[in-house]
Amino acid sequence: MDREKRKYDYLLILLSIAILLGAWIIFSQMNPKVFPTPLAAWERLVKLVERPVMKISIWGHIGISLQRVLIALAVATVLGVAFGLVTGWCPRIKAAFNPLFVALRPIPPIAWIPLIILWFGIGEFPKVLLVFIGAFFPIAQNTMAGVEMVDDMYLKVGKIYKANTWNMLRHIVFPASMPAIMAGIKISLSSGWMVVVAAEMLASKSGLGFLIIRGQESFDIALVLVGMVLIGLIGAAFSIVFTFIERWICPWMTK
Amino acid sequence: MDDQVTNIALHLENISKSFYGRKQVFEAVNHITLDVRENEFLVLLGPGRCGKTVLLNMIGGLEVPTVGTVDFPGGKNEGVGFVFQKTAVFPWKTVMENVELPLQMAGVPKKERREKARYLINLVGLAGFEDALPKQLSGGMKQRVGIARAYCSNPKILLMDEPFGALDAQTRYQMEEEVLRIWEKEKRTVIFVTNNIEEAVYLGDRIVLLSECPARIKEIYPVDLARPRDYVDPEFLKLRETIEQNTDLAL
Repeated sequence: MDREKRKYDYLLILLSIAILLGAWIIFSQMNPKVFPTPLAAWERLVKLVERPVMKISIWGHIGISLQRVLIALAVATVLGVAFGLVTGWCPRIKAAFNPLFVALRPIPPIAWIPLIILWFGIGEFPKVLLVFIGAFFPIAQNTMAGVEMVDDMYLKVGKIYKANTWNMLRHIVFPASMPAIMAGIKISLSSGWMVVVAAEMLASKSGLGFLIIRGQESFDIALVLVGMVLIGLIGAAFSIVFTFIERWICPWMTK
Repeated sequence: MDDQVTNIALHLENISKSFYGRKQVFEAVNHITLDVRENEFLVLLGPGRCGKTVLLNMIGGLEVPTVGTVDFPGGKNEGVGFVFQKTAVFPWKTVMENVELPLQMAGVPKKERREKARYLINLVGLAGFEDALPKQLSGGMKQRVGIARAYCSNPKILLMDEPFGALDAQTRYQMEEEVLRIWEKEKRTVIFVTNNIEEAVYLGDRIVLLSECPARIKEIYPVDLARPRDYVDPEFLKLRETIEQNTDLAL
């Protein structure tokens, strides 16, 4: 029965992909010049694998984008969780930092681009920094909220057994906030991709965002589509991998 | 030791607790004076929502009385153990990690605290579930973890705050029996809070009947029935009836 159900789930997945492809085929018939067919995009991808752009192979472009996102995400996770734990735990520290945090958070990372290019040029660091800005806030925000919502009863257990602050955070507050932290990282994952592509479109000679802008400049719309599809696929792969990581780190969260 | 002399494990002197809201004062506990004897199973029985948990929190040091003192004549070195209303068992820790937590917080080396925890896990009947996560356990089993954890800090006094309130009736009877079995084996002073008269009569050496808000001592009933007690024994029912007549109605 269960297996039967799963079979239908797979069929539904295939069906939705088929609908998307079908729509792509139909709409691309209207004007293949500005909207190439899936086949054209596929051929462009094959060509891309054979012929590097800016002396960087397609794998190189994917790799450099991945690298930027992952480094920024790792740093943002460490700092964001630390910031969220401390501010969520200690109302005094929160009072000191929160106004700054609340004012900086709504500024879109892309708005930082002019300043960051001016200050740090167009090397690797400014791009990673931009992604970091995009990834830090959701993680910090979610961690803070998670810490503040820890069930009072759990804290009472810690107090009864005289846990010191470090043990309280490590054994009780941090794991109890884990679901919120994970949700924050998930948000950062997608906003990180958004920012890296934007950064690469504006000031870069490599990466998937660069491929898209390159396609635009040389009216190679198939290349634009290839870039978009690759970003979509990699993003989807990320969220699948992340679900597994989540299950592995927090086995108690799944039912 | 002389049978006549019973040591006092806990002395509450004229305890009151009020909470100050913006507009009104809420009085939860009112002038409670009480001696709890060593290794006694004392039941705090009270209607509804009032005062019992607050009283227990004050004994456990989680809250400070507005007036009065909580005194441990025998010394409070080992602290208290606490079994909570709902299962405050940590879902991210295994049974073993939950039970050993009090010792871990106290900085006891791993080998030593595991040994102690293993003994207690066996005692509460969870042998073989050391590495299970709470989500794999039933409600009754989770509360067994809670009891083992409370014992693990080796407290002189165990505080139990309506520990079986969330369990179904059948499991509840079973756990009442279990908590007595465990207590017979590892004697401690137990202060057990409940709003269930039957449970109180089944468990207690003495029953302290509290009034509706603010909680005041209405009456203290010694229970002279031999254990294991029978729920339908005439003496049992008589005492139950007496207490019931004297209990304030909770809204």
